Amino acid sequence: MSSIQLTATPPGQRATLDPELQALRKPLAELVHTLEAQEGWYGSVFLERRASTNFSANLKQTNVSDRVSQGVVLRIYDGYTLFEQATDDLELESLKQTALKLVQRVRGNKPGSGVQFRPYHPPSWEERRAQKLDPEITSQIPANVNALTPVHFGIRFQKTPKVSASETLDRLKHLVLKCLELAPKHGLKSEDVTFAMARQGFSQEESIFIDREVNISQSLYRIALTVITMSGAERTVSRIGGLGGLEAVEFSDADIGKLLEDLKSLKTAERLNPGKYRVLLSPVLTGVLAHEAFGHSQEGDTCARGRSRAWELHKIEEKVGNQHATILNNPAIFQNGTEDFAAWGSYFFDEEGWFAQEQVLLDEGTLKSPMTNLTSAIRLGVPRTANGKRESWASGVYTRQTNTYFSPGHNTYDELLAQIDDGFIATEAAGGMEDPKGMGIQVGIQFLKEVKNGKLTGRTFKGPAGGDIQMTGYVPDVLKSILGKSKIESTSERPDRARHPFNDAGGCGKYHKEFVYAGCGGTYVLLDQVILG
Amino acid sequence: MNRWNLDQLKARLQQRKEVKGWIISQEHTHRRERYFLGESKNLAIDQDRDVRSESITARIFVKLPTVGRQGEISKKLFLRLPLDPQLDAAIQSALQTDHQAWELPVKLEAAVPQLSTTDPRMAEDLESVVQKLTQRISLAVNKARETTFNSAELFLSTHDRELHLSNGLVHRTSQSRIYLETAYSYARKSETSPIADSDEYLKTMWSVSLDDLPLEEFFDEASDRARHSLDVLRPVSGNFAVIVDSDVLLNLFHGQINQLSAVNAYNQLPFVKPGDALIPEAQGDLLTISLDPSLSFGADTLAISDQGVLQEPLLLVKENQVVSTATEKQYADYLKKEVTTSRGNILVAPGKLSHKELTEQAPAVLEVLQFSGLFSDSNTGTFSSEIRLAKLYDNKKKTVTYIKGGSLSGSIRENFKNLRLSNQLVKRAHFENSEAMGGSNSGTGYHGPQYALLSDVSIVS
Repeated sequence: MSSIQLTATPPGQRATLDPELQALRKPLAELVHTLEAQEGWYGSVFLERRASTNFSANLKQTNVSDRVSQGVVLRIYDGYTLFEQATDDLELESLKQTALKLVQRVRGNKPGSGVQFRPYHPPSWEERRAQKLDPEITSQIPANVNALTPVHFGIRFQKTPKVSASETLDRLKHLVLKCLELAPKHGLKSEDVTFAMARQGFSQEESIFIDREVNISQSLYRIALTVITMSGAERTVSRIGGLGGLEAVEFSDADIGKLLEDLKSLKTAERLNPGKYRVLLSPVLTGVLAHEAFGHSQEGDTCARGRSRAWELHKIEEKVGNQHATILNNPAIFQNGTEDFAAWGSYFFDEEGWFAQEQVLLDEGTLKSPMTNLTSAIRLGVPRTANGKRESWASGVYTRQTNTYFSPGHNTYDELLAQIDDGFIATEAAGGMEDPKGMGIQVGIQFLKEVKNGKLTGRTFKGPAGGDIQMTGYVPDVLKSILGKSKIESTSERPDRARHPFNDAGGCGKYHKEFVYAGCGGTYVLLDQVILG
Repeated sequence: MNRWNLDQLKARLQQRKEVKGWIISQEHTHRRERYFLGESKNLAIDQDRDVRSESITARIFVKLPTVGRQGEISKKLFLRLPLDPQLDAAIQSALQTDHQAWELPVKLEAAVPQLSTTDPRMAEDLESVVQKLTQRISLAVNKARETTFNSAELFLSTHDRELHLSNGLVHRTSQSRIYLETAYSYARKSETSPIADSDEYLKTMWSVSLDDLPLEEFFDEASDRARHSLDVLRPVSGNFAVIVDSDVLLNLFHGQINQLSAVNAYNQLPFVKPGDALIPEAQGDLLTISLDPSLSFGADTLAISDQGVLQEPLLLVKENQVVSTATEKQYADYLKKEVTTSRGNILVAPGKLSHKELTEQAPAVLEVLQFSGLFSDSNTGTFSSEIRLAKLYDNKKKTVTYIKGGSLSGSIRENFKNLRLSNQLVKRAHFENSEAMGGSNSGTGYHGPQYALLSDVSIVS
């Protein structure tokens, strides 16, 4: 992967807005006037187009699929309820009719008795620019911007991700064959690899948000590569990606080698004796821990529904972790760790038009204000943040996480490993689940590697029944058991140069549905006496 | 702007010499959604949504110069964009792919059964159903309880679909879908903190018919379980007899059925062939599993598969012995096997014991009321999760205690050996609603025992 020039703005091109969508900006802006048909109503328009192509190759075939999801969401917030009318019919006359229909629906609605009126006034450009924004955002805002100025934000990329189907499929076929070719070098016979697959997805995600104060658009290039190897029922998976160009999906022979070595280990893995252990979690797993611990419970809509213990604990400033327990959410990671592409969960603004900013959710064990979307910020009376996200234009907005991670520490990886006399290192994630009210936590781990006296022993362990291992516990107990965290550049003695930890390509469901992209990363974290079973 | 139609699309595909065949599906969807929350003991509507969409997806098969190979692409087409450039791009991409060749079946001439897949009230007037269900939710929320209502979500949708195959088949279907969730919490004064102790219970359910939505009982049960959420102990580590419910069985069997499919056989993924035991050395209730595509208002009820094959009930496993492989036309050609039903609701034969009898089958029986997040692996048949809420039946002390926390891990091959199934049948549905994110947007249905008792399951706390 290419390293960044950390002291200078990296070179590269920016993604532009499709001319067809550009032409829609003016007529869409006119719909805002239709939507704000009554005093006190706040109207806005959101258009989204996600054009994705997925390529895959395995030992028997190659595949291509092309999807486009495109639609417009017309919104009216009347001080009580957020009403949405969404359609994929982009004909202007149809959209005007849809807007009028929505106005009628809102007029016909009576708020429930005892429900409070909470009006909303959108911020002007002046108010927006007064916030602390990342230079990647401010540098794309024209100096003389006003409410009518169309402002576009384009993701930066180095190597164009728009390559031909044949070129991409050739590369994927090459990766699959490499898995077989390299197997003997890593202790497996070629025939031990019973299934190998490489899949690359590229998605061009464009959106426009318009209200009475702004007319903004963004274009993101999302690219990911997944490589899977299997031997019988055992499986290893590597998924890499980010926002940018092909530089985000470079996959080396060493990366294939790691998959094969893990596959070999799984074939002879022992079963874990469940219990409490000292464990070093890799960045992707600390990302899951942060996400499930005080990510979900710091989602403003969960707080507004009375479903978050964090909201109650925030108000009394109770400590829920030790000095290492600092968790951030940040959709404005445009340089991912030391890499020259943006992190998976990043964007310039959320789907309600709010600009991305870094936010501290938990500061050395003390809970801060939650992430919000429009209605939860209004209901809770806390600041808006850029966390209003939806699965697609056809789904509703919730408060969702972007890139969630622990702040970096001061140790190297070796220093943390040396603190394990008898325990494990966990490197691969297998999902997780939140419990925002009960404060339980579940972090799934594919397998554990044993560590004795600060050294890997070569033994690998699966769960007690031969499957994944679950790390569980009470969130404050887990966050008070942190012994140390690594630097971002964990194998180097020198101070970190990167501003933000690396975030892997992950996904997130809201309880059991509404899947969205989420960055998952951070640094290594050493935990003591956690339950593994 | 001129829009093209399906006849024009089919005519254009017919004219292209590279094209060998196609499967086109067109779907119109109407969604009505409401997010509710409790505000000063009143029911407030936080969001109110109406969504309409139309999509056309074409799976296009192209000829390749190599004998026995073909190319293909799955592409979403836009009615408002000119057709020819979209087809040109799709065909060019398809020509770069490489598959073993297969043929669509000859056009189905048999009569297609009429199945119950859509609630007629939703098909007729979705808005009216939203209003009526909102009234029922309001009444349920206003019921006097010791608990606090936190939130609810109601999602209703209707899906009208047309399937057009290059063999001439045209098939129209529709489906209704209902999603309901609610969260209740319970709080009481804390002895150690200035804020009250509290916990919650979140309950979710999918169905196809309004008659399968016991709304009032649904809210009652969520409240009742929230009421017990503070009277909990952590489990003791060890191996337990564990009762799981039908939602868990749906999840586990759905994964396991992959191992009975021709897709797995062809791709050299874990596969259990006819004649083999599904659960090695099984001694308890022996599983009998079928695919039933005709179940009234099932989540996966359908008359014809996307490849144009008539779907009829198929026995997959009889008393633990695998008797058939679910084989769609494509994989039948690849493996030179008979085509069978490949879709359908999972039908599991009941056992003989009541729920009460299941709780008495061991000195200590743990009934999991809710997992935090059950993760199952369809390749290994293993599963694991934190326990969100459970009941421990201590049959020596004759006590029942609520349990929370700790993690459970199991394996179908090991912990289903002494399986005992309940005698009461229930219907369950689940939909993956993430098509925009690359998901399948298809449903999984279940009609089978409400409970199952597993043995020797590892629990750690």
